[in-house]
Amino acid sequence: MSLLSYLRLAAAYIKLNWRMQMEYKSAFASQFLAMVLNNSTWLAFWLIFFDRFPVVRGFGQADVVTLWAIASAGFGLSAACCFNLHNLAALIARGQLDTWMLYPRALVPHLALGKLSPTAMGDLAFGYGAYLLLVKPDLEHFLMYVFLTVAVAVLFTGFNLMRGSLAFFLGQAEVLSEQWFFSMITFSTYPSSLFDGWVKLVLFTLIPAGFVAGLPPEALKQLNWNMALLTGLGALAVLGFGSLCFALGLRSYQSGNLMEMRN
Amino acid sequence: MLKTAQKLIAVAKISARANLAYPGEVLGRGTFLLVVLYIFLKLWQATYSESGQSKLAGLSLAEMLWYLTITESMWMSAPKLAQQVDEDVRTGSLAVKLIRPLSYPLYCLSANMGERLVRFSFNLALGACIALALVGPIHLRAEALLMLALSVCLAFLLDGLGHLIVGLSAFWLEDTSGLYLIYTRLTMILGGMLIPLDLFPGWLKNLVVYLPFPYLVWGPVHLLSTPQAELAASFLELAIRQLACLVALSALVALLWQRALRRVSAHGG
Repeated sequence: MSLLSYLRLAAAYIKLNWRMQMEYKSAFASQFLAMVLNNSTWLAFWLIFFDRFPVVRGFGQADVVTLWAIASAGFGLSAACCFNLHNLAALIARGQLDTWMLYPRALVPHLALGKLSPTAMGDLAFGYGAYLLLVKPDLEHFLMYVFLTVAVAVLFTGFNLMRGSLAFFLGQAEVLSEQWFFSMITFSTYPSSLFDGWVKLVLFTLIPAGFVAGLPPEALKQLNWNMALLTGLGALAVLGFGSLCFALGLRSYQSGNLMEMRN
Repeated sequence: MLKTAQKLIAVAKISARANLAYPGEVLGRGTFLLVVLYIFLKLWQATYSESGQSKLAGLSLAEMLWYLTITESMWMSAPKLAQQVDEDVRTGSLAVKLIRPLSYPLYCLSANMGERLVRFSFNLALGACIALALVGPIHLRAEALLMLALSVCLAFLLDGLGHLIVGLSAFWLEDTSGLYLIYTRLTMILGGMLIPLDLFPGWLKNLVVYLPFPYLVWGPVHLLSTPQAELAASFLELAIRQLACLVALSALVALLWQRALRRVSAHGG
């Protein structure tokens, strides 16, 4: 199948998921606003922190706003389109991939695109809102920001495939997958200049938060497209590795006789 | 009255024992605690070093990490009471729980307390090992620890009431997850979980002392760094503020519960 065909599939899923959310407008609005407020609270913490200590390891208020704008928009974009991957370990452990295997084309796109998260939409809106309103970028910075948020979204999608695929090999891997995710999110929202040595190596491999909190804010600060492209390459590598883990794991997937309805 | 107290203690005990049955989950939380405390250590190491001060908000770097270990252990020990109440309301399983010979809010509070105390003890033990490995021991006074234990219990009770308020709002709201998220984040930031209140800008500190959030986290843990001469007075002041919040939040829960009961409709089946 061509790339165009898959893009059409993605557009159809996004449209369908959006319509489903609009059936419960007030629930959607409350979750969307809550996530915007949640992220604003975190940003408020950092603003309080940097108000007291203006620069820590080269990071100041503007840098932390940029960091949060990239991390939340990138994560939001990934989860808004591919929310099912967020719970992949649970889906595998409960034999709930069966439903998605009945569709034509590859399994991952159907599975990933099958669900939209309202809170993720809040993350996405917060990221773009914070960047436009607080950083006030010029056109070139904004274009780079858009590129970086897409790259970070690709990275999170690959990371979710990677951690979720653990369930193929370990069976019950929900707790481990969750802790891995929390570690990734936590490292992604703190200035990466705080870490050095072997931790830096971990942040570009096992917990690839360096491609969220390390390279992207620096690329925007210096308007360095090489760094931005490196982020994109890192994201593609994580997506590739995640897809490989999923493909290898799928060979050992065992179905059950459970009757399932997709939701 | 005595019978009700016995029932509440029994519910708390059962809930605590149920939580002791999942050591794997505890270990999982420990991994995250290690990550968080390591990040905090790096952040505050850089902050102390660049500010050129050996003490911030009256705390040395080691004391700051121990402060954060206790606040994080408290935070991570919170059971998902609000979501459970929300689910009971939405699925109708509340009707079954109403049959029990114990008020539903009191049942929730005591079960929450039992579960939370177990989780907190585990988290604290794990966190203490991590803090010891990262920064070594700090000087702790027995009377301050005792006061901390008492005020932590009151803080957990207050937080349980906060969760109940959020959960019971499911009777009127289509979805309470947003409200839950806001409540927990306010507790995290305004409660002083990530940064002691003494480092807040003056105007914000003056404002938040009139809210219940600081008494859920910062107040109890702050006792550990309070000078010996002021300890008793600080504890008394904290206890009065916590009790005042307890009365206000209990009244609000009672009011919500009274109104909510009018909206309950149960069917056979």
